[in-house]
Amino acid sequence: MKNRLRVLRAEKNWSQAQLAENVGVSRQAIIAIENGKYDPGLPLAFKLARSFGKSLEEVFIWNEPKTG
Amino acid sequence: MYTLLFVVFEILPPFMQNPSLPARKSFAPLLLTLCLASIIDLGAGWLLRQPHLTQPARILIAFLPVPANLVLVALIVGTIRKLDEFLRHVHLEAAAIGFLLTGLAVFVYGYLQRASALPPLNVGIVWLFMVLFYGIGYVIAARHYR
Repeated sequence: MKNRLRVLRAEKNWSQAQLAENVGVSRQAIIAIENGKYDPGLPLAFKLARSFGKSLEEVFIWNEPKTG
Repeated sequence: MYTLLFVVFEILPPFMQNPSLPARKSFAPLLLTLCLASIIDLGAGWLLRQPHLTQPARILIAFLPVPANLVLVALIVGTIRKLDEFLRHVHLEAAAIGFLLTGLAVFVYGYLQRASALPPLNVGIVWLFMVLFYGIGYVIAARHYR
C-alpha cells in the first residue's frame, strides 16, 4: 500500500513530530508509514486522513496485487 | 532487568519525542515499582545469604519478591496496551525473536552440557538470555521498520 503522507505533510508544513502528536502516535510510527515500511490499521489510517481533511483513498493508495 | 530494558528502549524515546503519548502516564509508577521491586529483590538476596535462617523462613523469603514483580508485570502489560499500534507491532516482533532465540540458546546449552563442555545450567543464565535476545530482537525490529 502506497501513501501520500509525506507530500500532504509538506503541504501543511508539518513536521513528523507534529503529525504524530495530532494523531496520537509516536514519531517512529509516522516515519515507518511514510517510508512504506508499515501499513497502519484502519483507525490510525482514518485519523491520518482526517488530520489532513482528506478521505482515506486520497491518502492511501491500494496496489491491487497482480494475478495470473 | 526486563523493565529497565523496556523503559530504556520503549518508553523513553517516544516519551521524549511526543510527550502527549498516553504511555507517558505509566512512566512514573513503572519506575517507582521498579525501584521498590529492586530493593525487595536485593533484600531477599541478602537475607538468603544469612546462615542462621531456618528452611521454612528461607522458602518464605524466596517468595518475597513475587508481589512487587507481579505488579511490575501488570504495569508493563498496561503500558504496552497504551502504546500506539506501531510500537506494539515492534514489541511483538522483539518478544517473538527474544522467545525463539532464548529457546535456541537453551537447546544448544543443553547439548553442550551433555557433551560435558559446560557446567549445569544456572536458571539465572536463562534470564540473561531473555534480556539479551529481547534487546537484539528490539533492535532488529526497530531497524526493519525505519
